[in-house]
Amino acid sequence: MSHDPQADGLSEEQRRELAGVLDALIPASGDGRLPAAGELGLVAQVEEALMRTPDFLPVIHQGLAAATDLAGRLGAGGFASLTAADKQQVLNDLATEHPALVPGLIFHAYGAYYQEPQVVEALGFESRPPFPLGYAMEPDDLTLLERVRQRPKLYRDPSGP
Amino acid sequence: MPEESVDVLIIGAGAAGAAFAWSLADTRMNILCLEQGDWMDPSQYPSTGSDWELRSFSDFGLSPNGRGRPEDYPVNDDESPIAVSNFNAVGGSTILYAAHFPRFHPADFRVKSLDGVADDWPIDYATLESYYEQNDVMMGVAGLEGDPAYPPKQPPLPPVPLGKLGQTLAQGFDRLGWHWWPSDSAIATRDYEGRAACINLGPCLSGCAQGAKASTDVTYWPAAMRRGVRLETRCRVREISVGENGLADGVIYYDADGVEHRQKAEVVVLACNGVGTPRLLLNSRSKQFPDGLANRSGLVGRNLMFHPYAHVTGVFEEPLEGYKGPTGCCIISQEFYETDASRGFVRGYSFEMIRGMGLVGTALWGMGTGQVPWGAKHHEAYARLVDRTAGMVVICEDLPEPHNRVTLDPELVDGNGIPAPKINYQLSENSRKMLDHSVDRAREVLEAAGAHKTFADAPLRPAGWHLMGTARMGTDPERSVVNEWGRAHDVHNLFVIDGSVFVTAAGVNPTNTIQALALYIADQIKKNLTNLFD
Repeated sequence: MSHDPQADGLSEEQRRELAGVLDALIPASGDGRLPAAGELGLVAQVEEALMRTPDFLPVIHQGLAAATDLAGRLGAGGFASLTAADKQQVLNDLATEHPALVPGLIFHAYGAYYQEPQVVEALGFESRPPFPLGYAMEPDDLTLLERVRQRPKLYRDPSGP
Repeated sequence: MPEESVDVLIIGAGAAGAAFAWSLADTRMNILCLEQGDWMDPSQYPSTGSDWELRSFSDFGLSPNGRGRPEDYPVNDDESPIAVSNFNAVGGSTILYAAHFPRFHPADFRVKSLDGVADDWPIDYATLESYYEQNDVMMGVAGLEGDPAYPPKQPPLPPVPLGKLGQTLAQGFDRLGWHWWPSDSAIATRDYEGRAACINLGPCLSGCAQGAKASTDVTYWPAAMRRGVRLETRCRVREISVGENGLADGVIYYDADGVEHRQKAEVVVLACNGVGTPRLLLNSRSKQFPDGLANRSGLVGRNLMFHPYAHVTGVFEEPLEGYKGPTGCCIISQEFYETDASRGFVRGYSFEMIRGMGLVGTALWGMGTGQVPWGAKHHEAYARLVDRTAGMVVICEDLPEPHNRVTLDPELVDGNGIPAPKINYQLSENSRKMLDHSVDRAREVLEAAGAHKTFADAPLRPAGWHLMGTARMGTDPERSVVNEWGRAHDVHNLFVIDGSVFVTAAGVNPTNTIQALALYIADQIKKNLTNLFD
C-alpha cells in the first residue's frame, strides 16, 4: 500500500528520524531529571500537531529527507543513529537550505514537551489543569499603599478644582 | 425562529447588548437579541485540561482569522499594525477579556477643551457616574477605595490578590515614587450573587471555568432573561432593512443552517463592537442610504481607535509564583496618564501588570526572544526563565483620525457570504512617541523591581481587542453618527450602544465605560419613550 503523506502523515522511518530530531532539539538534561523529547515519546503528539498544519507538512517531509541524506554522508544509517554532536551539526547545516524546518518544529516540540506530566513534575510544578483546584494566595499587606494614598489628586477634573 | 415583529431588536449579546437588555427589560417591551455566536460551556474551557496553554494558540486564540470557530468572521487587517481580536458568543469578547475594569477619567471626556486635540464628548463623567456604580454592582467589581488617580468610588468587592509577583512589582513603583494601585477588576473575589469566588486559576484570557470572571453570560444575561428578554443564538445578521419612511424596520439574518430569515422590529439596537457595527451599517445599503445605513455624515467606520499596546517583560532572578492569580489583573499605574506636554506628546497611558507565563508560554517566548536555544544549552537557559518573568502592558490613548477606518472588503466574505470588514490603520506620530516613552518607563520600573533583563514588543500586534470610535457620538449630524444618547442622527429608531460611539478612547480598558454608556442609553430611551422617534 503506498504511503500518502498528506493523508497518512509520516512513515515509520520518518517517525524514527523525527524522534532523533526531537532528541536533538530538546536533549536530556545533564542531571538526568529531564528526558530528551524523542525518548519521552512525543513523536505521536508532534505528528498530530503537524497534521493540523498542512502548509508545514511539505517542509517536514523535505527536511527529514535532507536530514537522512546528510546523516548518510556521515556514514550513519539515518539521522536518529547519529551522535548527539553530529545531530546538532546536521540540524545547523539544514538551517540554510530548510530555514523553516527547525523553527517550526521547535514550536511544536516545546509545546508538547512542557505540558508532559513527567517534565512538569521534574520542574517542580504540579501536573494538573488549573481548574478545579486553582491556587491559594496569601492575603496582601495593603499598607504598602500608604505612600500612594498620601499623594494629592492625580486626575484633572474639568468641572472644577 | 420567531418572525413576528418585536418592539426592540438588539444585535449582539456581548458587554453592551447584555447590559442594555437587562436595563430596558424594565419597560416590559417585547425585546429580542440576536447573537451570531452561542452559549459557552465553561466545562470545556482550556483551564479544565492539561493542554490549556496550547489551546490559547488554537480554538481560544486571540484572532478570529486563526481560530477556526464557525462563529468567527474573517477580518482583513493586513493594512494595520494591530490585528483585530474579538469573540462571538453570548458574552462576546468578555469571554476572553482579562476583566480589567477601570473607568474613564473626567478629563477623558474633555480632550479638545483641555488638550486642544480631537473632540469633547457630548456627555461627561458626571453623566455616567451613577451608571458606573450600577455596572460595578451588576458585574461585581473588585478593587480598593482611595485611589488618588480617580474621583472617589467604592468597589463592591475586595481587590484581587497581588501575590509575590505583584508585591515585587509594587516595590519597583515605590522605589521610583510612582503611582500604583490594585486594579479594578470584574472578578468576584468573594462568592457574589450566585457566582463562586475566584480561585486564581491564571488563564482568564481563555474563559473562566470557575465563573468568577464577569463575562455577561454569567452576569447580565441570566437576569435579563428572567425579566423576559429573549436571546436567540447562531443568528448572524446580514443587514438592517429600512422602510419607505426612512426608519429601520428590521433585519435579515441567517440561522445556524444558513437559512435566511427576516425579523421585524420597531427599534433596532446595534451592539456589535467597533468593527462589527460599522460593518453591518455599511452593508445595509438602500436607496435612502446608498453609502450605508445612518451614514450621511460619511463617518460610519471612520476614526477607528485601538489603544496601541506595548508589552514589556522583565526577567528576575527569583521565582515569582506568577502562575497564580488572574493573569491580567493585578496592579495598574497611571503615573503617566494625564497630559504633560514636556513629554513630547499629548494624552497618556496606563500600565497594567501581567502575571507570569506558563511553562509552554515561557518556552515559546524564550524561543521567540532568542533566550531559550534548542540543543545542549536548552535546559540551562530555560531554568533561568521559568517562573521568573513578569511584565506589563501599556495602553496608549490613540486619537481619532478619519483615515483610520473600517470598510467592507471587496473580496473577503464570511461563511454566509457577507463582506468581511477591512481595517486601515496607521500609528500616528503622537502614538509612536507615547509608545516609546511608555516602553522606556516600563523598563525603568521593571529594573527598579529587580529585573535583570527586559524585553519590549511595541506595538503589540495581536492586541486589537479594544474597538472604538467608528460610529461616534456628537450633537452635530455632520460630525457624528449618533447623538448624545446613542440615537442615529439619520435614523431615529436606530441606536448604537457599543464602543463605536466613543468620541475619544482614553488610556484605559473600555468595557466598564461601554456598559455604563449602554445603561445610560437604555435609561434615555425609557425617559423618551413617548417621543422616541422625534
